[in-house]
Amino acid sequence: MANLWKNPVANWSIKGEADNVPTIPWTSPLKPWIETTKAKQKLYKVGRLRYYYKFPGHGARTWHRWRYPFTRRRILNIRGEYNAKSLRREKTILDRRPVYWMLSFIAMVIAPLLMPGGLESTLLNAGAVFFIYAAINLCWTLVIGTAGIFSLASMAIVGAGAYGAAYLSLTYGLPWWSLPMVGSVIGLVFGILIALPATRLEGFYYALLTLGLVELCRVYVIQSRTFGSATGGVYGADSYLPDGISEISGLTISYYVCFAVMLAVLFMFRFIQGKRLGRILRMAPEKREAFAEATGVNFRWARIQVFIITSVVLGALGGVYASHFHGASPSLFSMDSVLLGLAMLVIGGIGRSEGAVFGTLVVVMIDKVFIDWGPLRLILIGVIMLSVVLFLKGGVFGIKQQFRAWRNKKKSENRSTRAEKGGEMLPEEATETHDKDQIFLRRFDKMQRDYLKTLVSEEVIEEHRRSPLGQHSEALERLLNYFRRQPQSDKYALEAIEPFKSYRIIAMSGQRGVPPRVVEDKIYKSESEALHAVFVRRVQDLMES
Amino acid sequence: MDIDIGFVAITAVTLACIYGTLAIGVSITWSSLGLINMSYGFTFATAGYGAWLVSEYISSLGPVVILGGILTGALVGVLVCAVAFIPIHDKPNFTVRGLIASLALSLIGTQALLYFFGPQSKTLPPLFGDWELELGEVVLTADKGGAILTSILMLTLALWWLRSSRRGLEIRAMMMNPHAASLVGIGVRRTGFYVMALTGGLAGLASVLLSQTYFVSPFSGVTPLIKGLSVALCGGLGSVGGAMIAAVMIGVNEALTADILGGQYILITQFLLIILVLIIRPRGIAGILDKQREA
Repeated sequence: MANLWKNPVANWSIKGEADNVPTIPWTSPLKPWIETTKAKQKLYKVGRLRYYYKFPGHGARTWHRWRYPFTRRRILNIRGEYNAKSLRREKTILDRRPVYWMLSFIAMVIAPLLMPGGLESTLLNAGAVFFIYAAINLCWTLVIGTAGIFSLASMAIVGAGAYGAAYLSLTYGLPWWSLPMVGSVIGLVFGILIALPATRLEGFYYALLTLGLVELCRVYVIQSRTFGSATGGVYGADSYLPDGISEISGLTISYYVCFAVMLAVLFMFRFIQGKRLGRILRMAPEKREAFAEATGVNFRWARIQVFIITSVVLGALGGVYASHFHGASPSLFSMDSVLLGLAMLVIGGIGRSEGAVFGTLVVVMIDKVFIDWGPLRLILIGVIMLSVVLFLKGGVFGIKQQFRAWRNKKKSENRSTRAEKGGEMLPEEATETHDKDQIFLRRFDKMQRDYLKTLVSEEVIEEHRRSPLGQHSEALERLLNYFRRQPQSDKYALEAIEPFKSYRIIAMSGQRGVPPRVVEDKIYKSESEALHAVFVRRVQDLMES
Repeated sequence: MDIDIGFVAITAVTLACIYGTLAIGVSITWSSLGLINMSYGFTFATAGYGAWLVSEYISSLGPVVILGGILTGALVGVLVCAVAFIPIHDKPNFTVRGLIASLALSLIGTQALLYFFGPQSKTLPPLFGDWELELGEVVLTADKGGAILTSILMLTLALWWLRSSRRGLEIRAMMMNPHAASLVGIGVRRTGFYVMALTGGLAGLASVLLSQTYFVSPFSGVTPLIKGLSVALCGGLGSVGGAMIAAVMIGVNEALTADILGGQYILITQFLLIILVLIIRPRGIAGILDKQREA
């Protein structure tokens, strides 16, 4: 029989030793180890850890950093550190955005030189439009994202500035350099007028009101004779391009002029964001105004300030628009231009300068370069906008953050599926335990008990009953070894009431000076009977653990 | 200054009925789903095209055309709900994302209409026959009378359904407190579909009734969208009664302005009126505070 244990000392013919004992089949003690350490659910590899390129540090200029002139502000946020392994100095660029901005500026500057021959005029034109719209969207994202005013009237302010400047230039012959100034005055007036209700209204009431304002402007312009209800706009404003210039060089000049305008607006954006005003506004995002107010932030005044500053800039951009396009058309006020502007903001991510510029690039390229697609290109823009809104939380430039949040969620999900009760510690308990050996001890103990439970059987108990001491089969020996190794507290023992005649079971206290307690009243007649009773109790405790 | 009181009154009542139909849709959508439905104009335009297709290919009978418009509107409403509400309503920043998603839908939808039907506007056949009713000095023409009667009838039906049916009870529970409604077992997504079908149907009705004024074209929805939104805003988002009062106010204002000052000043006076109302009551005539709604 396979399930028979041969007593190795049976040949010595000791009194009472059996030749062989029925026992249970052998199982490997490695089995629970393999089962426990194997992952029970499918684990996905979610990304990699944060990685920074380490630049080697310079020996002579270890602590040198580039700074903006006359300030203590650093150009690049560089952290210097010593590599603990190689003991070398290393540099890490913590915020690489300035590098990317510089690279894109360089690309924008040299782009006109690299354009393919056939598409040159289309691309230059699209580039100039892109810069103007990027400048407008930078202001808009400042209003919606940073200031938290959900205004849809930005295009209306630009349109008003453009119309006013074009009309004045046409009627009174104002030169091109005065148009942005005229536009900024109009923008200031508009900004003050629109900012008034913003102090009382919030969120969507304001959005709907400004949408209504855009529609009002559109209808007014379409019907007004002075603003060209017949000709479809005001045209003939003074342009910054000198007369008699060739087409391509004119386009190139306007490309660089619009680039400079965008740079100026980017500077304005950075100035507002990085200064006290931007900090105050980021202190009071939507829905946390009460908290900000409680800490002494006058967010209403800050919002109005931003709104008026951006209105002035938007008006000036309107003037630039008028002198760039030689006039203004009612399409500035159409629902579609509001929608496209919003699409530009949303695709890149509201509230970020890189988002506004990138979104504008995407939309303008689709809109101006694929002109022969007809309505399909607007549908494409709409589909991109819709999918960005449905799937992304902060536009294209929020993907990194969203991905990190998702990865952390997955990590903690995996951690929590690994937590099991009984011997092992829960994650929160494990972090509180000072002695980390305890975690592994408990884990090992759990696995050992799991294995020993498989060894308990009728045969083993019967074997122990027949001979509590002496040679045992492997299963019984493993069980007894485990029981013997248990700590002193609450460990069962025998008390001889009268040696060789009566015994009873007690449990050790495990503390010096504290006597053991009596477990049960039952008196056992012989030592082996009592030993077996203790064994049965221990087996019972094991099975219940 | 001589005001043709009868004409002004009839025009005001007609406009009030149609604007009320639009604004109640906007209002119910906002208060039950928390969604500012900017694709309302798209629903409006598509319902017009649906009614036009019905009148071209099935029957040009008034009630059949109206039914076609309402059904198309309801269908578009369900589509908007499936795309702009279901995937994001439990995600962060829903209000802004919902607004932008519905705007994107409206951009896609109107361009698709332009692509399939072309820029020419279509006209619907006269829906209510050709009759005139003389009430003293006032002449009630067929289209105005029909519009008044139909919109009052349909609005009464919709409000009665909202008040007395099981589904209406669910929608009203969502309007009061969406979170608590979901706790007591009212399915947010299912109710969303009911709400959007109802409001889409109302937009479809308004579209058919206004088709004589605005015709049916891909961009015909913009003006009604703005009017519906501003009436709902003026009445206080989420309040049916407030929307009705505001609709009457705006209708009277529009009729009076058109008669006294001229058509091009309508939007200006209307805008001034709304700003006035909102400066006195920032939440509209009968709007409730967000805090009260969330509590």
